Amino acid sequence: MIEDDIYRASSQYRLWSYTEPSLQSLRATTNAVASERVRAALRRSCEAHQSTATSAAGTPLPESNMEVKNKDEKDVECLTPEEELVLVRYYCEKTLELGETYKPPIPTMVRATAIQYLRRFYLTNSPMTYHPKSIMACALFVATKTDNYYISLRQFADGIPGDTTTEDVIAPEFLLMQGLRFTFDVRHPFRGLEGGVLELQAIAQGQGQPAPHLPYETAEDLQQGLLSIAPPPVPSSSMSDRIARAHGTTRELLKSAAQMTDAYFLYTPSQIWFSAFLLADRPLAEFLLDVKLAPETDENGLVNPLYEIRSKLHHVLTECSALLQSYTPLSSDPAQMKSLKRIAKKLYHCQNPEKVNLAAAQKRESTQPSTAVQSDAGIVTSESETERLAKKRKLEQEQKVRQEDDVFGPELVTQRTKQ
Amino acid sequence: MASNAASRRDEDEVCPVCKSSRYLNPDMRFLINPECYHKMCESCVDRIFSSGPANCPVAGCRKTLRKNRFRKQTFEDIGVEREVDIRRRVMHILNRREEEFDSKRAYDDFLEQREDIIANLVSRIDVAKTEAQLQKYAADNMQSIRANQAIEAEEASSFQARMSLEQEEARLRRQAVRQEYETERREIQAGREDFLTRLASGSSTDAAAIAREGHKVLLKKSSARRSEEERIRQKQAALRLDNKRVSNLSTVEQAGAADTGLVKGLRKIKTPEPEKPYDPFMGYVPEKRDYYSLQSYYPSQYLDPIRNDARMLAGGYDLREYYSRTLLEAFAGLSCFVGEEISQRDAANTSKSTATEGASMAVEGGENTA
Repeated sequence: MIEDDIYRASSQYRLWSYTEPSLQSLRATTNAVASERVRAALRRSCEAHQSTATSAAGTPLPESNMEVKNKDEKDVECLTPEEELVLVRYYCEKTLELGETYKPPIPTMVRATAIQYLRRFYLTNSPMTYHPKSIMACALFVATKTDNYYISLRQFADGIPGDTTTEDVIAPEFLLMQGLRFTFDVRHPFRGLEGGVLELQAIAQGQGQPAPHLPYETAEDLQQGLLSIAPPPVPSSSMSDRIARAHGTTRELLKSAAQMTDAYFLYTPSQIWFSAFLLADRPLAEFLLDVKLAPETDENGLVNPLYEIRSKLHHVLTECSALLQSYTPLSSDPAQMKSLKRIAKKLYHCQNPEKVNLAAAQKRESTQPSTAVQSDAGIVTSESETERLAKKRKLEQEQKVRQEDDVFGPELVTQRTKQ
Repeated sequence: MASNAASRRDEDEVCPVCKSSRYLNPDMRFLINPECYHKMCESCVDRIFSSGPANCPVAGCRKTLRKNRFRKQTFEDIGVEREVDIRRRVMHILNRREEEFDSKRAYDDFLEQREDIIANLVSRIDVAKTEAQLQKYAADNMQSIRANQAIEAEEASSFQARMSLEQEEARLRRQAVRQEYETERREIQAGREDFLTRLASGSSTDAAAIAREGHKVLLKKSSARRSEEERIRQKQAALRLDNKRVSNLSTVEQAGAADTGLVKGLRKIKTPEPEKPYDPFMGYVPEKRDYYSLQSYYPSQYLDPIRNDARMLAGGYDLREYYSRTLLEAFAGLSCFVGEEISQRDAANTSKSTATEGASMAVEGGENTA
């Protein structure tokens, strides 16, 4: 089918389509790599802390040292991939809410794009490394740009509750784009749904045209077929009314369930909207499928050439519908909220200390052009660079504190000679 | 002595047809016809065959001969003459080249087969059968025979050209050497004369200095000349190399014909697929769709007001654009089964998988960035 080949050319198909096992293994490796790094970073910061403490005290205290270290090692308990997923989902819901706070609200399409950005980003990055709170705002802002819905940065930052500066919003921007592998195109099922509804309405009014491979059907046949399908669960006054109602229900499903599950990674947009449509009004959706791909068995007993596709599609749509149906909003479920709070608390302890303040890190980098050049050449160097700077800053601060405590005032000779 | 013997034999040579001898007619020339190889004198040929083909006048030979086929005898022995003729004819037809064969072995087999055919024809074994084979082969492989003949002709001419070029080069080299020797001699002469005049005009104290100087000048000149020669030689060598390269490029690689009945082990030539007509969209028909046929109007209570709204349409907004896009997105990828296709793709390139490797790189990169 030509349309399928057109979709196969998209970056969503080429780079962001996965099978369920590959998705799981990818998340597991991401989690493993991130936990490793978080542990290493915590150990480093702990050591830095201790070395400054011992040098300040003059005499090292090996026993307490060991104790602290042991305690630390035990304490670092990282998130599991499942917990990460719940956390990301929570922030996806938050993105929807954030979009609602603007006046006028940010369009659904833009918000959906932002959510997909978040989901894609957290496939290869862990919330332990970058907190979703900072990435979320940035993802929404990038989405307004890629979906051509202009909001100035200042206006955008003002709309975010809390004191978020413009720098905080755009600090992780490049990082996010890198995580997205610079593919900003997200194929949504919303427009596809509109197209399907257009077709159904046309058929309902007797203006429908048959699919190119079923040329013998006439508009009247199609209309008759549509009128003779099984009645909807909720009775409606007319066919177009019924279609409109199914349309509304499907749209709601696409806005919430399709965004919060892995549907975009596992299915194509048209499959997603068809499965949502199946949930909303099963006879109507099956009628449309029959029109497009011919019924599973002909009345003459002939085997449909598209039968294989049709049966496979049936299977896929059932799976996708089940996935969409399995979604319940986090905020409506107290048990889930409780586990979310636990995860958030856990995240507070296992957050990578080197990546907490992205805006500050960026500012520091930009003030030192040499490091900026280095980070251009190899990304790896920047990590050690920021670490070194953090260590230095901490050292200075502690010295200041200690000197203020000293009864005899600060030392005359600077600390540099001591080192 | 040999010439003496030859002349003596020539003296008593007699034309077998008219019985006139060289003794009476010193300008007599003998001709043969490759049809039967019977020798006769030029005047007999003129006499008998001027008015068209006729039978051979030698008793017992009934071959029909034509005047234009008569030629001078190259070898004294008629048997050798005949063999050379046959060989030339067969080689002309069976002119496959080594590069046309699959292996050296196949080529060797071919050579042996050709020798067999020649031997058969020379010693008159199975002549009719062999001739038939040859004729059939010639008819079947007209094209490749002609192509190989052209290649041979070209090779011969290029060989000629190369030979003459080499001769020319040798001549130039010789000339240069001679000229160089001349100039050197002249310079030495001039230097010596100069030296003598200076000695004659100068005082006796300068004599030693002048002598040393003169020697030095001579040395310098000769060394300069030598380096100049070296330079020229290098240039010529480079030029020769260039020529060779050009000639290498010009030898056109020509493929042989298909395997024929007579000659075995020929290399298969792949004829390139005929080019298809140019298709700018690579098989994609812009407005063709498989799931739906686009209509110019779809009833919709949201869109209908737009159709008549001048404010909307003035800017060039066209609802048909919207229709085509929404309908395309409605069905694009409907029967594109991600789970199946992606797992197939991953299996196909596990060694250098694009998706998973890219993703893992992104993991590394993402986790690496500050």
